[in-house]
Amino acid sequence: MIRFDNLSKRYTGGFEALRNVSFEMDSGEMAFLTGHSGAGKSTLLKLLMLIERPTAGNLLINGKNLNRLAKSRIPFYRRQLGVVFQNHQLLFDRSVFENVALPLQVSGYSPGEIGRRVRAALDSVGLLDREKQSPIELSGGEQQRVGIARAVVHKPKILLADEPTGNLDPQLSAEIMALFRRFQDVGVTVLVATHDISLINKMNMRIMRLNQGELELDGVAHDID
Amino acid sequence: MLREPLQTLLTVVVIAIALTLPTALYISVENIRQLSGGVESSAQITVFVKKGARPAAIEKLGEQLGKLSGVTSVSYISAQTALEEFNALSGFGSALQYLDENPLPEAFLVQPLLLNDSAKLVAEIRQITLVDDVQLDMEWLSRLDALLDMGRKLVLALGAALGIGVILVVGNTIRLAIQSRRDEIIIVKLVGGTDAYVRRPFLYTGLLFGFFGAMVAALMLIGLGFWLEPSVNDLASLYQSQFRLSGLGVSGFIALLAIGGGVGLAGAWISVSQHMRDIKPR
Repeated sequence: MIRFDNLSKRYTGGFEALRNVSFEMDSGEMAFLTGHSGAGKSTLLKLLMLIERPTAGNLLINGKNLNRLAKSRIPFYRRQLGVVFQNHQLLFDRSVFENVALPLQVSGYSPGEIGRRVRAALDSVGLLDREKQSPIELSGGEQQRVGIARAVVHKPKILLADEPTGNLDPQLSAEIMALFRRFQDVGVTVLVATHDISLINKMNMRIMRLNQGELELDGVAHDID
Repeated sequence: MLREPLQTLLTVVVIAIALTLPTALYISVENIRQLSGGVESSAQITVFVKKGARPAAIEKLGEQLGKLSGVTSVSYISAQTALEEFNALSGFGSALQYLDENPLPEAFLVQPLLLNDSAKLVAEIRQITLVDDVQLDMEWLSRLDALLDMGRKLVLALGAALGIGVILVVGNTIRLAIQSRRDEIIIVKLVGGTDAYVRRPFLYTGLLFGFFGAMVAALMLIGLGFWLEPSVNDLASLYQSQFRLSGLGVSGFIALLAIGGGVGLAGAWISVSQHMRDIKPR
């Protein structure tokens, strides 16, 4: 599903954020991306979202090389992704419903279909009764769950999350992680960037650790100590 | 657009004023042209008969004038009629009491078929023995024509300058709108919104600004018309004219809307394509 082939990213200032990173993720696989801040986690996710382009190497999604993707096709590629942002990136001048509906609106779904799908997504994160509220009225954990609902409302094949539990207590973080596992169970490829080691060590899943732009470890949690 | 009501109102009013100025000038030029058109068709050649001509000879002259090529009609004004008219209209009637005899000559009014032929016609009429003098007051007409031509050019220049002004005003307003909705644009792009999808609401906003500006401009012009109408009517009645001020009309209003909308859209388009580039991701 996702294949990094000797990928490097050097920013215009000369800073090398990623160096020869190679890995593969199968469809329906879930993995954690760790490393201290500045190790390249965000850059790696940005390459996947096509916010940044690699300076060397190939990035293949579903066998298609993103380097050869025309600029005009980028929006359609992004519609295959679901992204959960660290600061959830919700619009506070819109209701919870409208926030979650955004990915469907840009893809041109009918209003009836949007209503059905948004409610299904809100139901899956346990916030169905909050659809009319503004995100500002919700707690941090609830806001993050609205962000997750928005990321999965269009049934993406790949779910990316950038520090989704950054500001949450362990209890809430565990709930969010459980949510991601449920999406993995239905066949979504899930990649979560986090530095919350204690949380992921409990989960017994594939971990990729970046250190100064290089992939220094790739394995299942209990193999690593 | 509705998030900043005051800003929106100001923009619409500025656009309206910018559209009103050249349109008002255009309407003025059109009105004067209409007026001059009326004068042109009534451009007549006045033929004064030599003093002391016998009535039979005058009658013969009238027939002769009517037979000339390029003449549509000939009407006779006797010295007596002319005197009465002068008495009634000039306001100097009482001065005539002191004259022993009627100083006015017998005259014919000759209506030429085409204005361009009249110079030739005048030369022809001058040859006739019984004719004392021929008058054709055309010079001021060509002067007016030149003035109108200048007016039309002024409308174009003013329209172009203020059109650019409207583009800049709309462009600036759209720039502010883009900046205030930056977060939204970023998120829409990250969830797969195309450039066209992001652009569309801003283009509609520009179009609406232009439309509303044009509508307010139309209201201003109607108000201006009402304000000017009494004075124009007074002026017209002083000249015994049936002239009435004509406004923009339906087709003019539609043209104004189209121009306003077009200019608003152009401003939005320029602004959007400039400032959207600054927002990452592209």
